[in-house]
Amino acid sequence: MNIFGISINHRTASIEQREAVHFSKNEISEMIPRLKEDVLTEGFVLSTCNRTEIFGFPKTPEVTSKSLQNFIVKQRTNANLSNDNFNVYFSRGAVKHIFNVASGLDSLVLGDSQILGQMKEAFLLSEDLNFVSSLTHKIYNSALKVGKRTISETLLGEGAVSVSFAAIKVVEKIFSNFEGKSALVVGAGETGELVAVHLKDKNLGKLTISNRTFDRAIGLAKKLNGQAIKFEELKNHLHEYDIVISATSADEIVISYDDVLRAMKRRKGTVSCYMDIAIPRDIDPKVQKIDGVFYNNIDSLKILVDQNLKRREKEIPRVKKIIMQEMIDIFSWYNTLDVVPTIKSFRDFFEEIRLDEMNKIRHKVQPEEIEKLDNMTKRLIGRILHNPTLKLKSLSESGTKFVEAKRYSHVLRELFNIDETKD
Amino acid sequence: MVTAIHIVNVLLPMLILASFTAYLIDFIKGDFKLNNVKRLFLFITLLMHAFYLIMRTSQFNHPPITNQFEVFTVIAFSILFTYFVLELLTDIRGTGVFIIFLALIFQIFSTIYIADLIEVKEILQSYLLGFHVISALLGFSAISIAAAYGIMYLLLYRRIKKNIFGIIFNRLPNLEILEKLLFYSISIGFVLLTIAIGIGIVWLPIAFPDFNTFDPKIISSSMVWIIYGTAIIRKLLGNMGGIKLVWFSLIGFIIAVLSLLLTEMLASSFHAFN
Repeated sequence: MNIFGISINHRTASIEQREAVHFSKNEISEMIPRLKEDVLTEGFVLSTCNRTEIFGFPKTPEVTSKSLQNFIVKQRTNANLSNDNFNVYFSRGAVKHIFNVASGLDSLVLGDSQILGQMKEAFLLSEDLNFVSSLTHKIYNSALKVGKRTISETLLGEGAVSVSFAAIKVVEKIFSNFEGKSALVVGAGETGELVAVHLKDKNLGKLTISNRTFDRAIGLAKKLNGQAIKFEELKNHLHEYDIVISATSADEIVISYDDVLRAMKRRKGTVSCYMDIAIPRDIDPKVQKIDGVFYNNIDSLKILVDQNLKRREKEIPRVKKIIMQEMIDIFSWYNTLDVVPTIKSFRDFFEEIRLDEMNKIRHKVQPEEIEKLDNMTKRLIGRILHNPTLKLKSLSESGTKFVEAKRYSHVLRELFNIDETKD
Repeated sequence: MVTAIHIVNVLLPMLILASFTAYLIDFIKGDFKLNNVKRLFLFITLLMHAFYLIMRTSQFNHPPITNQFEVFTVIAFSILFTYFVLELLTDIRGTGVFIIFLALIFQIFSTIYIADLIEVKEILQSYLLGFHVISALLGFSAISIAAAYGIMYLLLYRRIKKNIFGIIFNRLPNLEILEKLLFYSISIGFVLLTIAIGIGIVWLPIAFPDFNTFDPKIISSSMVWIIYGTAIIRKLLGNMGGIKLVWFSLIGFIIAVLSLLLTEMLASSFHAFN
C-alpha cells in the first residue's frame, strides 16, 4: 500500500511551531483542492492544537514526503520549520501511525479520546471534498474501529489525567449528582474557566464566579449561564456553596481557616468541598481538619492524576494488540484487491460460456427441462470454480503469499485469455 | 431430611464465602467479566438458603426463630436477600462485599451453634409472637445493612479526607449515595422495629403477666428505638447528616447486637430463648 504521510506534533515541534502550522477547517477546505491538483489522489488533513498531519496516496511516482513537507512550509513560512520537525511515514508505518493516533496512544495526554472525534471530522471533510476513495475509506473505517475498540475494550481513556478534571472527580466521589448543588469558582482565568466548564458539563445547579476584576467574573458567568459575585464579598457567601474551587494567581491566601470554619457553622455540618488548584495556594490547608470539609490542592490531585496515568500505561499492550489485529485485517483486505478482479473475471468468463450454451439449446428442449439444465450448469460451474477461488483468496489474504497469488492470478488470465479488468 | 439439613447447614457459609470472594475479587480488580458471575453466585446461595429455611421449618415444625442461632441464619438470609434486591434495583454493585461479609458472620455463628429443636415452648407458639419476630428480624437486617453502609461511608470519608485514592476511593459509590442508602435502610429498619416493639408491647403482658419494666430487653430495645428515631427526625429536619448520621447508625447497631446477645446470657430477661 503506497500511502504515506507527514506529522508535526508535540514530539517534534514546539508549541509555537504547532500553533503556527495549525489549520482551521476553512483553511483545510481551501488546501485540499490544491493537494488534489499537485500532490495526492486522495487522503486527509488532520490539524489540532497538538498535531498537524497529512496522509494520502501520491498522485505521481515523483511525489514524495518532501513534496508534502514543502507544501506545508509554503503555507506557513513564519513557522520556521525544518526537517527535524516532521515525522515521515510510509505504507505499514503510515497505517500504524494513523491507528496509534486514533487510539490515543500518540496523544500528548495518553488515552485522550477527543482525537477520535477530530479524526472523524478530518475524514468527513475529505469526503465532502471528494478527496477519498475506497482505500482512504477503508483506512478511515479501520482507524475508527481501533478507536472504538480502545474505548470499549481497554481502560486507556479511564480516569482523570488533568488537575482540573481530577478535582471534579474527587467532588463526584462526595456528591452523587450536581443538579441540586452550588459551586463557587474563584478566579476567572484559564484554569478557572476550564473547571467551571467541567462543572457545567455535570449539570451543576448553580455556578458562581468570583474574580478580583469583577468584569471578568461577569463575562465568564454570562458565558456559562452563571452568576458573579465581587471578590471582596465572597467570604460572606462561602456557606452557600457545596463546592468551592479556587484558581487565582494571588500570592497570598485568599480563603483562610477561619473563613471556612465560619461557613461550616452556618452550613450546620453539611459537607463542603474546597479544591485549591492555584499555585501558590489560595486556601489555607488547615481547613482539612474541619469536620465536613474536604480539601485538595494541586499536590494531592496530582497523586490521583499520576495514579490514573500509570493505570493507562498498563493498558498500552492491550491497545497495541488491537492495533495489530486491525493492521492484519486491513492488509489482508488490501492483498485481496489484486485477485478479486481476477476471480470476478474468471467467474464471468465461465458464466458467459454457460449462458451461450444454454441459449443454443433453449429451443431444442422442453421449457421445464431448460430450468433443470440451467440449475445443473450453474452447480457444475460453481463446483469447478470453488477450489481455484478459495485457493486464490486464501493465498492473497495470508499476507505472506500474495506474490504467489499474483502469479497464479496472472497465469489464470493467460491460460483463459481473460482481459485485465479495472479496479 | 435431617442429614440434608445438616449438610446444607455446613454448605451455606461456604456458599456465602464463595459469593463474598467473587464480590471481593471484583471489588479489587474491577473486572467487568465478574459482574454477572458474582450475582449468579449470590442468587444460587439465596436459593439454597431459602431451601434450607423451608427444610428446617418442615422438619422441626416451626420456623427457625426460636433461639438466637436460628435467628442468625434468618438474619443472614434477610441481609443477603435485601441486598440482592437493592443491587437489582439500583445497580450499585460496589457495596456487596461489605454487606455479604456481614451475612457471612451471622451464618457462621448459626452454623456452628444451631441446634435441632423439635420441641418449642408453648409460650413461643403464638401467632402474635411470630409477627413480632418476623418484623424484628427484618428490622434488624435493615439496620445491619445500614451499619454496613455506615462503615463504607467512614472508610471512604477518611480516604478522601487523607487524599488516599486507592481501591476504596475507586470502587465504592460516592458519599451522598452511601448516606442515602444508609438513611433508607435505617428508616425501613425503624418502621419494622416499631412494629415489632408495638406487637411486643401487646404480647408481653399476655405471655409474661409479671414482666419487669426494667427488663434488659425492654431497656435496650427502647434505646435502639430512641437512637434511630432521633437520627431520622434530625436528618429530616436538616440538623444532621454525613458523619454524625453514620455514627448514630453504628451506635444503634452495636446496641442492637449487644441486646440480641446479652439477653440470652442474662437469664433473668423474659426475652432469653432458654
